[in-house]
Amino acid sequence: MSQHINKIQQAIVVGHHKEIEALVQSALDDEIAPELIVNAAMIPGMDAVGQKFSTGEIFVPEMLASAVTMNKGLDLLKPILQQGNSETKGTIIVCTVKGDLHDIGKNLVVMMLEGAGFEVIDMGVDINVENLIDKVKEIKPDVLGLSALLTTTLPEMAKVIESLKAHRVRDQVKVMIGGAPVDEAFSEKIGADAYGKDAAEAVQIARQLIAG
Amino acid sequence: MNSAGYQLFMSAMFKGQKGERPPTGTPTSIACHDLMDATGVSFPDAHLNASAMAELALGGHEIIGFDTVMPEFSVDQEVAALGADVDWGDRNMMPDTKSFLYEDFSDIAIPDNFMEEPSMRVLLDALTILRRHVGGSAAVIGKAMGPWTLSYHMAGTQNFLLQIGLGETDKVRKMVEQLMPVTIASVNAQFQAGADVVVVADHATGNLISPIHYAELLLPYHKELTRQIDGPTILHVCGNCTDRLHHFCEAGFNAYHFEWQVDAREAVEIVADKMVLIGNVNNPQVLLQGTPEDVYNQARYAIDAGVEIIGPECAIPLKTPLENLKAIVAAVQEGY
Ligand code: B12
Ligand SMILES: [Zn+2]
Repeated sequence: MSQHINKIQQAIVVGHHKEIEALVQSALDDEIAPELIVNAAMIPGMDAVGQKFSTGEIFVPEMLASAVTMNKGLDLLKPILQQGNSETKGTIIVCTVKGDLHDIGKNLVVMMLEGAGFEVIDMGVDINVENLIDKVKEIKPDVLGLSALLTTTLPEMAKVIESLKAHRVRDQVKVMIGGAPVDEAFSEKIGADAYGKDAAEAVQIARQLIAG
Repeated sequence: MNSAGYQLFMSAMFKGQKGERPPTGTPTSIACHDLMDATGVSFPDAHLNASAMAELALGGHEIIGFDTVMPEFSVDQEVAALGADVDWGDRNMMPDTKSFLYEDFSDIAIPDNFMEEPSMRVLLDALTILRRHVGGSAAVIGKAMGPWTLSYHMAGTQNFLLQIGLGETDKVRKMVEQLMPVTIASVNAQFQAGADVVVVADHATGNLISPIHYAELLLPYHKELTRQIDGPTILHVCGNCTDRLHHFCEAGFNAYHFEWQVDAREAVEIVADKMVLIGNVNNPQVLLQGTPEDVYNQARYAIDAGVEIIGPECAIPLKTPLENLKAIVAAVQEGY
């Protein structure tokens, strides 16, 4: 069994997207539980990818390739997992704020969160406050993740938080923020719950915020 | 040597004689709300109309006091000419490319007359206007996107980067190679229109790709590019590039425009006599949110480190206050 787990984990870490399906299939054929494949191979694999990215050992292309690999493997498992309604680790809405079209960092955050077993609703880029609030009211996520890469769109993050308050939903959702120009001080200033410097940290923060 | 900004800048571009003070200059956008108000020109006019473009650029010299003028405030002039759908934005929003024409990496068709398309014509005309106004007193800088940044716009950045991750390097090379003529034509036309120097912006940054991929997939094209361009060039790659500076040195550009994230002392040590350095006052924390004193301190740090030309690290944020930009000029007035 640990053979299969190791190989799948390894394929995700190095982004062997062409091999992953065969590896997952062979694990399933040997009756390894899909939950185990996700929790013991895939999630630790993506965690390792996040760490390597944080330390500068790998860059965006490698991380994207790992995410593609993971998703291909997950596609095989999803139909089986859904039958057994395996529990999610929490629901997270993620978007890039109004006026900002940068989404590579946000997408990496989404991929890592999905890799870590969260249910993620990715609203995309350039999302205005009203739509976001509507979505929060509709989905009632545990966490809201906001991304901004432009100094001109940073104030949008503050607007989102103010608007959550105005709509009396601020206490129902934790807000985490990130993006190159964001920092801890800014996060405190606008009253966000947490700041994450990269996609690996986004996962840790989401785990902490949801654990309470 | 005469201490006119033009001479100081041009001499520094060739590591020549030093004058009374270091020159100031910025090869990337100087557009900000304060300057728009002072010149009476705003976005999107400054992207679309040659005299408005020149007027705003001129403010960088006449109002702030920089020794250079550079009229291209977006990164979209070439892609617009290649047929991409560009949203030119407004006073508060920089332009953006709305469509990716070659997401499928199919063969790229470059229109024969793309230098005559409105978005390129505007830039060339603005350079000519600027030359008439400041020729001999401030250096006129042109700006072109390199084949790597053009690829981001053609395929979509994430899609392009993913192909590298998936090992599809032939696709990547082919796209870069096909876009080389665009950069070369743009640079050469800008020299002919009146630019003294042209900056090539090509975002193979540490925030996106590894130094190994720069060396393998882009450096050979940069060498070819600089072989085919006669005039003096500046390479602009923002982000933290400390790990690839030694590669940039091989590319054949005269100068490198860099960010605060790259320590000026370290940069001077690595680059040594192989390139001139331009930069590197921090934009988001210092020029935007800092005080004139913070700006002054960073500028002096760069001067003391041996950076030849002093200016912002990249296109400045739109809300940058003029007094912070003027603090760069004040810092160089004190000389070396
Ligand atoms: C790629 C890029 C683009 C691409 C974007 C493609 C895309 N689909 O995203 C294109 C070419 C379209 C683009 C356009 C523009 N860009 Co741009 N771009 C960049 C560049 C080179 C890299 C950004 C990036 O993807 N980094 C890699 C990712 C992985 O990092 P990241 O986004 O920071 O994300 C990580 C963390 O921050 C964190 N994170 C991110 N989000 C979140 C969210 C949460 C909740 C958490 C916890 C963590 C987290 O995790 C991520 C992964 O580890 C940077 C310069 C640079 N060197 O960084 C400029 C940069 C961001 N762009 C800039 C500018 C000015 C523009 C334009 C205005 C240019 C113009 N037209 O003149 C337009 C703006 C368009 C718009 N309205 O948004 C400036 C911003 C300056 C500023 N601070 O205001 C930069 C800094 C360049 C510069 N030095 O001037 N750009
Ligand atoms: Zn830049």
